[in-house]
Amino acid sequence: MMTERPWLAHYPSDVEHELKKPPFDHLSALVSAASAQWGKKIAFTQVMPNGMNGSLTYAQVESLSDDFAAYLREELGLAQGDRVAVQMPNCLAYPIVAFGVFKAGCVLVNTNPLYTPSEMVHQFSDSGATALVIIDMFADRLPEVLGKTQIKHVVTVRISEYFSPVVHGVIRSVQKVWSRSLPKITVKHTPFRAAMAAGRKKANASAAAKYLQGMGPDSLAALQYTGGTTGVSKGAMLSHGNLVSNTGQLLSFVGNFLRPGVEVVITALPLYHIFAFTVNLLAFYQRGGRNLLIPSPRPPSNLKRAFENYKVTWVTGVNTLFNALMNERWFSESPPKHLRYSAAGGMALQSSVAERWRAMTKTEIVEGYGLTETSPVLAFNPFGGLHKDGTLGVPVPSTDVQLLDDAGKPVAVGEPGELVCKGPQVMLGYWNKEAETQAAMAGGWFHTGDIAQMDADGYFTIVDRKKDMILVSGFNVYPNEVEEQIAAVPGVLEVGVVGVPDDKSGEAVRAYIVASHPVPTTESVIAQCREHLSAYKVPSRIVFVDELPKSPIGKILRRQLRDQAMAESTTTKGA
Amino acid sequence: MIESLVVLAEETANSATVVNEFEQTLLRIFILIIMFGLGAGLTPKDFGLAIRRPWGLVIGWVTQFGIMPLTAFLLVVAVLLPFTEGPGVAFIALGALIMGSVPAGTTSNLFTYFSKGNLALSVTMTVNSTLWAFVMTPLMLWIYSNLLDFDESVSIEFGELAIVIVGLVIPVALGMLVRRLSANAGAVLELVGGVFGVLFIPFLIAIWVPRNWQLLLSTEWPTYVVAIGLGIVGISIAYAIAKAIRLHPMNVRTIALETGIQNGPLAIAVIVAVYIDSPGLDQILLIPALYSLFIVIISTLVTFWFRRANVAEEQKIPNLL
Repeated sequence: MMTERPWLAHYPSDVEHELKKPPFDHLSALVSAASAQWGKKIAFTQVMPNGMNGSLTYAQVESLSDDFAAYLREELGLAQGDRVAVQMPNCLAYPIVAFGVFKAGCVLVNTNPLYTPSEMVHQFSDSGATALVIIDMFADRLPEVLGKTQIKHVVTVRISEYFSPVVHGVIRSVQKVWSRSLPKITVKHTPFRAAMAAGRKKANASAAAKYLQGMGPDSLAALQYTGGTTGVSKGAMLSHGNLVSNTGQLLSFVGNFLRPGVEVVITALPLYHIFAFTVNLLAFYQRGGRNLLIPSPRPPSNLKRAFENYKVTWVTGVNTLFNALMNERWFSESPPKHLRYSAAGGMALQSSVAERWRAMTKTEIVEGYGLTETSPVLAFNPFGGLHKDGTLGVPVPSTDVQLLDDAGKPVAVGEPGELVCKGPQVMLGYWNKEAETQAAMAGGWFHTGDIAQMDADGYFTIVDRKKDMILVSGFNVYPNEVEEQIAAVPGVLEVGVVGVPDDKSGEAVRAYIVASHPVPTTESVIAQCREHLSAYKVPSRIVFVDELPKSPIGKILRRQLRDQAMAESTTTKGA
Repeated sequence: MIESLVVLAEETANSATVVNEFEQTLLRIFILIIMFGLGAGLTPKDFGLAIRRPWGLVIGWVTQFGIMPLTAFLLVVAVLLPFTEGPGVAFIALGALIMGSVPAGTTSNLFTYFSKGNLALSVTMTVNSTLWAFVMTPLMLWIYSNLLDFDESVSIEFGELAIVIVGLVIPVALGMLVRRLSANAGAVLELVGGVFGVLFIPFLIAIWVPRNWQLLLSTEWPTYVVAIGLGIVGISIAYAIAKAIRLHPMNVRTIALETGIQNGPLAIAVIVAVYIDSPGLDQILLIPALYSLFIVIISTLVTFWFRRANVAEEQKIPNLL
């Protein structure tokens, strides 16, 4: 059955409807082609909060990642398909290691550096990783982790790799003496520099050619763990074809709004997250852009020097980041002059935030949508075409999207249904989780678990996560809708809305608010909701809190908030 | 009377040589590095912004150049002049006025950081007041010295003062230039400047205090009251004002510290440069030197108090790394 694609009518004229066969068989070829094309240009600049920085050119990234591939294969003796866990914040070593893993024919297992030992154990043992590349600042967790995993080799990375010696020395002393962030590492490990030296000695082109022998678009490239927000974490198997295609889909769709060889993009989201991984690391690399790697975007003043010292043309981020930047005086008083476009994803971009961003920076911000399982980009607002605010745009080329009701039947235009999709970017399945894979891929479509609506033009709007829906006296309340209204109240910095069990209505709507100054009154929040929402959607309780639980990229974790709410209700009842 | 005063002052100066060649050179290097570091933290747009600042920074500006010089003046009139018996009181008063009129110091950023204040605001305010100092410091000195009606022995060399202060523009500009050429060199300089700002206090304690021990012992209590009171009163008034206009508690703490903590090294360097040949140099330096010593103790105590203050109503910024 051929699905209708009403959105194709709104594609900008230069965007192809179908992606031609991906130009590369694997990521290694993509990386090498870009490195050859952009050779002497700067690919990555890591910017520390005080402005200290280090850079790598495309040519350097190419040759250094060759060395790292040789280290993995020749020195450590890893084989094709072996998993290599990588656990570090945004820094210059990251692209070398990630690209090196691809060139070695191994599988990248991106790991959040802030994981607790038990989370590390789960991810390492589930993926079966045998090598780990970890930032030295967090390597003190290893003694209690390694024994419960198959990891045999540990490589430690310093935050200031490839910085000039003086600057490196200053950063090291500050880490040692001032912030005391360098724990003693008690497990056997190889410093990154030593690993690179060993790799360099053994690197040779003829051997390297064999690393990828027999590999093609369907070969596994990365295990990208997801589901931390819904339950136990699962590894989405992303193939080389998935990532190469998604990069191609994105680039084709963005067209010349991402100008070859000139863009400077702020990479404040962590590269271990799929959004920054594909959009910033892969797509900007292929187009010859310069990635400004920000090791830690919190507090947001950490981005000040990057904006001051470089002519930033693009920002990618999540709602939380854009919002936080606009609350910084240095940003609002002199917004970046060279900025051209901003892309938001990862979570719903609130219209109040989008409007403020446009007014403040005088540039366009568009929202896209995707999931870890879809590499991640599924839909985007066309830059050159019809742009509909508040929607996540239209599916990217070669992508089919349908909305299904509970019976699995397509819903009518304008009706909410679960978003399912098909396309070259959809993962191979969940690693070692046959049942979950079957459930997610039912009928050959990937089921996102998101409830969306489509308008007559084929533009999609996410209503909410299926699991986050609140049932108040039989009526559906979607937290996003309520959050959107509350976020528009002056003095509301961040808001999270969840459902809590209620004796009368089954579930009741509760809003958690982080306030700025002056603190808004509960009445003003309720008044705003009364004005714009049906009565059953208005929160029955407003709670002011210091902070909201967030994922590493800043997505508000409703499940944790709900647990928190449940705990509070029990204590109140007990009291 | 005046003659005997001058003679006495000369004798004291000769016997102790308040600031010797070596210390002068060291002082110049200090101030050069500190100003260099300050410049390395600036971009040209900061100058534009300094002229059109919104509300929060206007408060800072008013407290910096309103409260501090006025506090110094009032302390001089109410405590120093009536209760000091010994000679050279006019010189001491001049030192107090200069101390009150200089801009905020970079040490305030450090204390703001430790008192969980708004570091970004603190840095902006320091930068802002330093840039405005080129105009405001001589102006404030002119106003209050006229009110005090000094006799001619205590002439304020506005011309020289202006030259010295403008001279400080050079390291600031160089710092900016260095940062423009290399963000790395700029960031290193900025860090070094900050470190030197902090090192100034041990430098003072190690070198200046022992050699001037006699002078400190013979200094009368009103001088101490002014040196200590300037910081305490400045911090208190700024705190009260910022709180009264209902600023965010974080910003209230920042403005209080920023106002009370003056740029001690700058005041001393300016005095040494302008008054090196003056017979009253040691007296002029008394209050700036004492202030610089005591402000560290005062700020530390205030910081402890601020940290104990309830921060529950404020948003905590989770630290990713």
